Amino acid sequence: MKEKNFHSIHITKDKCIGCVHCLTACPTRAIRVRDGKAQIIDELCIDCGECLRVCPYDAVHSHTTSFAALDAFEYKVAIPSTVLYGQFGAANLPTEILSALRRGGFNEVYDLSSICELNCAAVEEYLNEHPRPRPFITATCPVVVRLIQGRYPALCGQILPIEPPREIAAKILRTILPKALNLAPEKIGIIHITPCPAKMVSINSPATLNKSYLDGAISIRDIYPQILNALRKSQEDALMRHLFPETQFSGIGMGWSLSGGETRGLKNHRAVAVSGIQDTMRVLDQVEAGLLQDIDLLECTVCPDGCVGGPLEVENRFLAKSRILQLVAAAGERAVVDPKDVSRLYHKNFLSFDHPVSPVESRPLDRDPAKAIRKAKRREKIFAGLPRKDCGVCGAPDCWTLADDVVRGLAHVDDCPFVKKEKR
Amino acid sequence: MAAEDVYRQEFPVKGGDFAKAGTVACRIKELLKDLGLDVKTVRRAAIAAYEAEMNVIMYAWQGRMDLAVSPQEVRITVDDQGPGIADIELAMTEGYSTATPELRELGFGAGMGLPNIKRNSDVFHVDSQTGQGTRLEIIIRTNGYKP
Repeated sequence: MKEKNFHSIHITKDKCIGCVHCLTACPTRAIRVRDGKAQIIDELCIDCGECLRVCPYDAVHSHTTSFAALDAFEYKVAIPSTVLYGQFGAANLPTEILSALRRGGFNEVYDLSSICELNCAAVEEYLNEHPRPRPFITATCPVVVRLIQGRYPALCGQILPIEPPREIAAKILRTILPKALNLAPEKIGIIHITPCPAKMVSINSPATLNKSYLDGAISIRDIYPQILNALRKSQEDALMRHLFPETQFSGIGMGWSLSGGETRGLKNHRAVAVSGIQDTMRVLDQVEAGLLQDIDLLECTVCPDGCVGGPLEVENRFLAKSRILQLVAAAGERAVVDPKDVSRLYHKNFLSFDHPVSPVESRPLDRDPAKAIRKAKRREKIFAGLPRKDCGVCGAPDCWTLADDVVRGLAHVDDCPFVKKEKR
Repeated sequence: MAAEDVYRQEFPVKGGDFAKAGTVACRIKELLKDLGLDVKTVRRAAIAAYEAEMNVIMYAWQGRMDLAVSPQEVRITVDDQGPGIADIELAMTEGYSTATPELRELGFGAGMGLPNIKRNSDVFHVDSQTGQGTRLEIIIRTNGYKP
């Protein structure tokens, strides 16, 4: 199921009061208020969730997989983001959290830290084999991929073509489980547990795969109460823990969800980690201007501090980060993946994109450059007549965007309350 | 070419203003995207504009970048008041730089600036008077325009 322009982020009209919080927070200026309600411009939205963070009225909704949708599968598997380990305080070990998640309605649950380590080793191998271009950009954050497709099309070829851990893990399970369980592949549901609305987008309309290996993504927010309940039955859980073989957590993969975590395991390459949407855009601007060529790998995550700052987590990100750092320290440099396995999978292209990232259609003022030039001049003129207060009352996030909308035929100068006043 | 078919804008650049480094190049890039120029042209212009802007910031006292865009070409003219370039041919050599050790420590002055502009443009002229200033003329032909 590959949908064009699928979005996870939606506005719940009944709750929206048409204020300006989301307008100004949107990094791609994709939101307008029309008829007193916020609307998202499809082609501009990258599902970063910044609007969801700032809405005071809970009117921004992210569409993730519901529990009811799991009933479609006979055998249900969860592969949670390692962010989950930071959500329940220091008293709960990752093994206990995984066990609690399993009892929340899954037949099996798999840890992703080892696959994170595998991804890092594959990335290292790719960098060894490809001395140019520089820097490569990691493909883990689906919002960064969207951002590059839309705003930095020249950088599409610099996205490092190794699938992120969640897809690699799902692909491995998809290959092994049907045979191991003697079940038809479509009866097995592989679900990611995520702090991020954009994972749903990368599952429904993947940018680098013909079809995602995941069947859905449940938000940490939604599943948190069930895990908490299961954890509360702590005595039983302590017994349960002995029934399952101890998971081998990877020290290299454990910190993956923190900014810099993806590249921490690199041995021979210089990496730089950037987090937060504004800083990511600033650095991508520099890369597009030809800078940072002395860097081998650029890790960009649009959430502050990395995935641990995802909008759909429950624990505040500072506590979650502190807890994950504890786990990283406890696991040390422990490697659980055999380098020979990585090399074998890598050379079989098992870990690669199905196809390279391609730019999405840009949005020039006009398809005809001569007309676009005329419109750009008109835009300057209109902008010069606006108050530059960026108040948002007209429905656009700022005066420049209003001027832009006017020349595109999407708004009227009179939408500005200040312009009107002067005319009267 | 009719004047109404050319989009012009000028941008002042202040010497030594490292905090704003890259902002003009970035605005030029956004503009070219809005004008619907092809990805390759936009990228070449962004790189050339960035290098030219950095040259003014690093070496000159003040300067100005003039952008003129037509469906056929992007023209960027950079005028600065500054020390000028004594030997242009030498300055066009990859790796040659007069950057101070302080600038180099910051990662600037690798001696790739002018050659990089040349590589990313179709026409490139440098004119300079020692002790007065430098004028760069950069032309990048678009290849995505189909009338």
